[in-house]
Amino acid sequence: MPEPDDKLLHHWLRRTSERHPTCAAILEDERVTTFSRLLEDAESLSHALTKRGLSKGDRVALVLPKSSEAITSLFAVLMAGAIYVPIQPRWPAEKIQSTIDDCTPRFTIKASENSLVIVDCANGEQLSWREMLAASHGACPEPDIAPDDPAFILFTSGSTGKPKGVVISHRAVGAFVKWSAEEFQLRREDRIACPSPLSFDLSTFDVFNMALIGATCVLVPDQVVWMPRFLTQFVREQRITVWYSVPSILAGMLNEGGFTRGKYPDLRVILFAGEVFAGRNLAKMQAVTPHAVCANLYGPTETNVITWYRVPSGFEPSKPIPIGKACPYAEVMMDSSSGELLANGESLMSGYWNRPQETEQAFVNVSGKRFYCTGDRVSLTDSGDYVYLDRLDRQVKRRGFRIELGEIEAALLRHAEVLEAAVIASHDPEAQTMIAAFVRRCPESTLSLIDVKTFCAQFLPSYSMPDRVLFVEAMPKGARGKIDYAALKKLYAEKLDDEYPGGCPSVHP
Amino acid sequence: MNIQAVVRQYILEKHLRGEYSEGFEDTTPLISSGIIDSIGVLDLVNFIESRFKIEFMPREIAPHNLETVEQIHLAIQKKLDSKSGVSSNP
Repeated sequence: MPEPDDKLLHHWLRRTSERHPTCAAILEDERVTTFSRLLEDAESLSHALTKRGLSKGDRVALVLPKSSEAITSLFAVLMAGAIYVPIQPRWPAEKIQSTIDDCTPRFTIKASENSLVIVDCANGEQLSWREMLAASHGACPEPDIAPDDPAFILFTSGSTGKPKGVVISHRAVGAFVKWSAEEFQLRREDRIACPSPLSFDLSTFDVFNMALIGATCVLVPDQVVWMPRFLTQFVREQRITVWYSVPSILAGMLNEGGFTRGKYPDLRVILFAGEVFAGRNLAKMQAVTPHAVCANLYGPTETNVITWYRVPSGFEPSKPIPIGKACPYAEVMMDSSSGELLANGESLMSGYWNRPQETEQAFVNVSGKRFYCTGDRVSLTDSGDYVYLDRLDRQVKRRGFRIELGEIEAALLRHAEVLEAAVIASHDPEAQTMIAAFVRRCPESTLSLIDVKTFCAQFLPSYSMPDRVLFVEAMPKGARGKIDYAALKKLYAEKLDDEYPGGCPSVHP
Repeated sequence: MNIQAVVRQYILEKHLRGEYSEGFEDTTPLISSGIIDSIGVLDLVNFIESRFKIEFMPREIAPHNLETVEQIHLAIQKKLDSKSGVSSNP
């Protein structure tokens, strides 16, 4: 475990590497990266980047798939006192570009054919990642940074169509990771799966617990994550001991992956967050892994995890799973009039990147303390546990990803032949979020459903794409001329009734 | 029903409800166009595996194998051929 003065994330890696240099830090396919290799490469890269001008507070965009190289790069950026910005290469090109434009990185690291390149954004020069590593040895001088300085920026969907950057400090993510290591008694022998992309906040648990306690971070290939049959095999063969993901992935393993009792003796901690886990699936999971600790973690990207609930054995499947009580580093309260959950504490974001006004609006002052408004409406049980009810705005979750319905409308309205667009969400019979877009075209337009989807794919990540596109002659309007979403939901429910006479999916309230 | 027709019907039913089938060609891009998202691809693979009694390996579930109905047809045919001992390399 780190010493009390280990306040910066890369210090954890240094200390762990000194103590356990030959232990496996990252396992990717059959490739093992030891702690000493990870540290040495991160230090060399950090040194090379600082020699080329990277300094405290600069951003480095990592347009990389989850990989040993991506993790090496992020530690190199931290060692230079800079801020990493993880970007998924499979995002639409437009979203990647607008993220890069917003964070104005000093360097961009990306995959190019079979190698990695580092783009010096000052002059556009392209450098080889491998050659940069080989050219420098040893650590760069320790930057003058404090725990409250930013470590990374996670870009999440914005309601106007432009992604918002959530700035997270060393202290903020450190508070969550240190607590989780202690609460779930993580240890060096653990094999922590990393199923989430690095741009998704859940991955910070996997990567930084590896650095903190010296456990092995086992990268789960993308094509395996969402294929339940492959994933259950992966968990068994890789002897995963600690798992943290969105419930959708667990539900897939349980319902379609042959995740059955007795096959996973190593799995001892199962954590989930990001969306509601159906009680019946949780009950099934407890039956398969009766020896494992199960916990529901809760917190928007802006707060890290702030509440948690350890699920007792024999949890009643018909009840909603509470999001629980505040973590020790957090303070939460319910707004008495709206029922909104408000959060304060050291794990909160520093703010939105380049958006002072939105940062200001995201917080309220209560008795002299600054609380983040989560937008989640909650209730409180007799035992003092919070239970998530719904959203106060138009944000929905799909497979744990945040989706602003307004962002989809903004994408649709960019098409010259779209006069009006309105988007609603519903649940299918498996409780998965389905998105329906209503589109009013120009009178002479021949725009087809394929055209609409193809157009949106330029701007929206695949998880935000509407499942259905319905063309309408007129948009229902309220008295003030605004789109009447309640009427659209009714219209959609009627359409589903026609299509699914045996029982239709429920439309979002 | 031939392989293309089965795949086309599945995609029309699941991902293109309301689309006239004339607008949907065997060469229409499915993944890059956003018609099918990453999870939709996996649902499609599950459907194909159970419908045609074949199994894909993780590395075979790549966009370049499944980007159009034409490519999906080829991928299925190759699997069926290797199952029945027919060589796909004459």
